[in-house]
Amino acid sequence: MSVRRAAYAVAGLALAFVVLAPLTSIDAAQQAGLPLLTDKLWFRIATTVAMFVVMASAWNIIGGLTGYASFGNVAFFGLGAYTAGVVVTNLGLPFALALVLAPLVAAAFAVIVGIPLLRLRGHYFAVATLGVGVAVGEVVNNLEPLGAATGLFLPIVRSDLLFFYLMLGAALLAVLTTWVILRTRFGYGLLAIRENEEAAAVIGVNTTFYKVAAFCIAAALTGIAGAIFAQWNSFINQDNAFAISDNVQMILMAVIGGTGTVLGPVAGAISLELIIQTLAGGGSGSVFSQIGLGVLLAVCVIFIPRGVIDFFGGRSRLSLRYFRQTLRETSA
Amino acid sequence: MSQFTQQVILGLLLGGVYVAVALGFSLVWGILNIVNLAHGALVIVGSYITWVLFTRLHIDPFLSLPVDALALFVIGYALQRGVINRVIRAPLLFTFLLTFGINLVIVSLLLLIFTGDFRSVTPAYSGSGLHLGGIVIPYIRLGGLAAAMVLAGILWVVLNRTRSGAAILAVGADRDAAQLVGIDLRHMYALTFAIGAAFAGVAGGIISTFQSITPTAGDPYTLQAFVVVILGGLGRVSATVVGGLAFGLIEVLGQSAPRLGSGYANAIAFVVLVVVLVVRPRGLLGRLA
Repeated sequence: MSVRRAAYAVAGLALAFVVLAPLTSIDAAQQAGLPLLTDKLWFRIATTVAMFVVMASAWNIIGGLTGYASFGNVAFFGLGAYTAGVVVTNLGLPFALALVLAPLVAAAFAVIVGIPLLRLRGHYFAVATLGVGVAVGEVVNNLEPLGAATGLFLPIVRSDLLFFYLMLGAALLAVLTTWVILRTRFGYGLLAIRENEEAAAVIGVNTTFYKVAAFCIAAALTGIAGAIFAQWNSFINQDNAFAISDNVQMILMAVIGGTGTVLGPVAGAISLELIIQTLAGGGSGSVFSQIGLGVLLAVCVIFIPRGVIDFFGGRSRLSLRYFRQTLRETSA
Repeated sequence: MSQFTQQVILGLLLGGVYVAVALGFSLVWGILNIVNLAHGALVIVGSYITWVLFTRLHIDPFLSLPVDALALFVIGYALQRGVINRVIRAPLLFTFLLTFGINLVIVSLLLLIFTGDFRSVTPAYSGSGLHLGGIVIPYIRLGGLAAAMVLAGILWVVLNRTRSGAAILAVGADRDAAQLVGIDLRHMYALTFAIGAAFAGVAGGIISTFQSITPTAGDPYTLQAFVVVILGGLGRVSATVVGGLAFGLIEVLGQSAPRLGSGYANAIAFVVLVVVLVVRPRGLLGRLA
């Protein structure tokens, strides 16, 4: 049996469990005497994993397919979260409207910053977008209508099931979007830009439009995740909505899983988030989980720069030779 | 008017700090093509060394600057030789992620050792300053500016008047050619990063004299160092000096503008960054790439 088929089997089983397990916790199922497959902590972790699947997949569209390593995607997450906050808390409108508005606001912002910033490349683009993430968070932190430094409180909605399925839906949407993009002319244009932007322009790719469009799609998806997060967490401020470490996590997930692939970011998000949860749950607090994340970053970048999908993908066997070869390719 | 002069002077003094922070960052970026996201963390390591020497041994913060430089030189050499050298030929996203990971580890270790409490270095003269007809210039800020200018001078001499400096510049210009003429690349990478880290350490010592330090206090300085390098231009010591002083001026004058407060420091930095990148990508004094 090929690795590919095994991966699909595992993914199918995981999806079946993911869909069935929560259902056993609703009242009707419990009255029917079905065994409980889940608990509260599981919901929290699973929803968080789904949230990072959205963010890593969205980052993959601009960072992995187009080759523009954005360190500012968290700004879209924060904008989505604050859109939900304003719609629900300040305006008193239903959350469903926020789910529609959040991606629009994030995408509009992506157009505004994307047009000047997507002309930059490499380090310049990376740090300029890092600046966007920091600056937008700071501006929000200073605006009185947005709760300033106190943050915004949304009315609490107690439904683990609802938020889990919302995030799962967003995650499926993100994965599906990537899959569709990779099968269209648009996707080939993005890959061409990643490989050689001048050549892409010469063969007729409207590079500016393609790049801004990819940035917009990534922003819209990330904005949806932000909106769901805001209502789920029922409290947002600069620290949890504009956390630069979230941005690094989504990149790391895409890199670990394999950038430019459909399922890479999913694999990366699931494995990394579970590792982080394990580290943080060890009772040693967040300091050690931060150290663990830092060391993990270093190990991944040094030893498996092409991601686990490549690592287990059959082209190369799991061996010391693989490590030695990647080391030789990249080190001094 | 004297209000304005005071602001300009404060801006230049703050600019001196940015020069100190950006010199090492600019060197590492220009020579190794690495945007070192751990730079701010290295700066704060320097701050903590100065703080420890001041509180335990009562050593004047400005006298501890050479100690900061030496300690960070060793740390920097080991980091580059042991870790960063392994990905130096990888795509830049990887060096980015790696230095971010190093940043996380250093900040967390500092949190474990020193906790998150605010620490400050307060020598006897920290409250006094030079009075010039209504304008006050704090001595510590003046000392910081002087130290930054000495640093810039040292870097210029090292790069332009020593054999190692020539080798470093050769590596920056063309790695393969440098290797062909017998330069030990691994050593030169490590040496360059070590010098960058040493300068970061001195900057940290200067910063500890006027700002309370916490393990995360260095993070804004990484972004600001980047803005300074963009503003001045990459590849020249003088460009970093001009960029740093200009950025200090912009920040102080920007924050004193009506309706803007000190809460917008990063937003101002970002606006400057975007404007320079769009209008004049090679910076004020930078060479054409």
